[in-house]
Amino acid sequence: MAANYWESTQRRNWQFTREQLEDLRKKLENEDQNLVQMYPLPCVRHLSIYFNQLVRLGKRLGVRQQAMATAQLYIRRFYSKVEIRRTNPYLVIATAVYLACKMEECPHHIRIVASEGRNTWPDFFSNDTSKLGECEFFLISEMSSQMIVHQPYRSLTSLQTIFSLTQEESALAWSIINDHYMTDLPLLFAPHTIAIMSILLALVLRPNATGVQSAGSSAGNIASAANAALSSATQTKNGAEKPVGPARTKVQKLANWLAESNIDIEDIVDCTQEIISFYEVQEQYNEKLTREQINRFVKARGLDK
Amino acid sequence: MFPSRRPPFHPADRGIGPNIGYQSKVRVIDRYKVIGFISSGTYGRVYKAVGRHGQTGEFAIKKFKPDKEGEQIQYTGISQSAVREMALCSELSHMNVIKLIEIILEDKCIFMVFEYAEHDLLQIIHHHTQPTRHPIPPSTVKSIMFQLLNGCQYLHANWVLHRDLKPANIMVTSSGEVKIGDLGLARLFNKPLHSLYSGDKVVVTIWYRAPELLLGSRHYTPAIDMWAVGCIFAELLSLRPIFKGEEAKMDSKKTVPFQRNQMQKIVEIIGLPTKEKWPHLVNMPEYPQLSTLSSSTHPKSGSNLEKWYYSTINSHSATSAPSSNVSLGAEGYRLLSGLLEYDPEKRLTAQQALQHPFFSTGDKVSSNCFEGLGGKMEYPHRRVSQDDNDIRTSSLPGTKRSGLPDDSRPVKRLKESGV
Repeated sequence: MAANYWESTQRRNWQFTREQLEDLRKKLENEDQNLVQMYPLPCVRHLSIYFNQLVRLGKRLGVRQQAMATAQLYIRRFYSKVEIRRTNPYLVIATAVYLACKMEECPHHIRIVASEGRNTWPDFFSNDTSKLGECEFFLISEMSSQMIVHQPYRSLTSLQTIFSLTQEESALAWSIINDHYMTDLPLLFAPHTIAIMSILLALVLRPNATGVQSAGSSAGNIASAANAALSSATQTKNGAEKPVGPARTKVQKLANWLAESNIDIEDIVDCTQEIISFYEVQEQYNEKLTREQINRFVKARGLDK
Repeated sequence: MFPSRRPPFHPADRGIGPNIGYQSKVRVIDRYKVIGFISSGTYGRVYKAVGRHGQTGEFAIKKFKPDKEGEQIQYTGISQSAVREMALCSELSHMNVIKLIEIILEDKCIFMVFEYAEHDLLQIIHHHTQPTRHPIPPSTVKSIMFQLLNGCQYLHANWVLHRDLKPANIMVTSSGEVKIGDLGLARLFNKPLHSLYSGDKVVVTIWYRAPELLLGSRHYTPAIDMWAVGCIFAELLSLRPIFKGEEAKMDSKKTVPFQRNQMQKIVEIIGLPTKEKWPHLVNMPEYPQLSTLSSSTHPKSGSNLEKWYYSTINSHSATSAPSSNVSLGAEGYRLLSGLLEYDPEKRLTAQQALQHPFFSTGDKVSSNCFEGLGGKMEYPHRRVSQDDNDIRTSSLPGTKRSGLPDDSRPVKRLKESGV
């Protein structure tokens, strides 16, 4: 329910395994193979990054991050049910923002969203508010009206005191959570798992007042540092190793805490690897190509009309 | 997204192809057979229906009216209150909260299908005033209160404020289960991005409005629902709204006026609030207005609630001795005064009220509020009219639920469509 993730529709209906998610997507593509062949698209990871386009609209409207996060999750849920080539992604993005703002109690009038949508994507967006209204029906229907979303931000807020995070560490963890909305992670893991992953990475990256200290270190190094902490947690948990004395570092403290908790450490490992590969993918990400491929099917199929 | 014309070179398009626009996968008239029309309100209309495919039970289908009825209907964006109600009802699940079966979005309309409840508290209270006043049996009052509090406790534990609790919104099934309904004004109160006040400036039908709201509080809590529960308890006992004030209308500048008359009604029964008993009173925006109210008794004499309670529970006893509410006794008064407590921080929470001795003394509380009544108490069934059975079109002007004089209550919802 609203305050209880365990009984929420999010946990019951919108949390998938990787295989389930892959099957859903395969099924969508198989429904219309001609369409898929006619309009090749970049891989899901790149498309996911492209949806972050919504930030442009969000900035124009002055939407707060939590509502943006909700919108991103709506988009992700929607495209687990609907083949993207049947839609105008720009309209879907704007509609998700419009709906998420209502849910997160910071509503914007439909006319404002439509006109800012047009300002953001002038070639792909009409001023017609009824298009946005129609897409809202589509979006809500595909989500079965399950619009209450649990976000990792709240878990982060309550965990940051437990691990005595500095302001910089919290801010970094927060931005890692922002980034995870550009991946499949919110469809794969519980919000508290994401929050712990973000704290772990923030601690491993060791930010200080002058910026991220280990910014130069490669993703590989970060991954191995994170994994070292997690495998020590696993060993402690399995009783192979008792924590010796008080934890000396925050990372150790987190590892000990994890060992004592009921949280699945495998999930944290998995989650950490996923976000690290996201950061790697992001470096090769070709925005121009992604945009061209999306714009091609939107225009060719007249989806912007 | 959904062009009106199919581009000529896509033979593969079919099914939910983009050329036909949004189409619901299920149609409401394919799934349900409408039996009749129940009521209408600011939101739209409610119909009674049965399933066409062996779904058990009966259903109440709430149809949100599109903005412009009659004319060519356009998509205008779903109102924020409808979005909240859809989202909350999809998430909630409790025996004392009305159960959502499904939501169908079709032909620019929203149909929310709920389990059907034969009665509501307004109707039950009304029945006890006909032909002469006779009290609601104490076991029924106790059971209704327990179930109502149980539903509130669930909502509040899940960070949901109902914000519009009143007898008309409390449903009762024919098997005596109480179900909190109409979550059209409900919302989550965990970390709202804007203050709760800024969204809808006026909340809760005025007779059930908590004093902190009347005094202009902008930061409110589940305690506002608990005040309304206190008012409903009083109404179950006396069969009349306890604080039946007249609403001051918004002036031309759209400023929310001080609800002097409503506040006066409260003061007449429970006396003027004092800063000794309610420390934050002095911080209320409308605090200066209080001194202009007249306390019917001496300012220092305090509350008349105890007197009100005993004269209420005793008043019926002459005519119907066996079912008299006298048996609700002193604990009934303590529960009532705990709910009608001025200071929202001291007011009973739903959790505290459920543990009140009122429920553990005397007869055991039943989960069926009609238990033990046998055949001697038969409540009338909900009126279902045949005037408007066409759930698809229904361009008839709204007919208010008839026959219930108390239903002409002030409805306060600021128009939110489009946002």
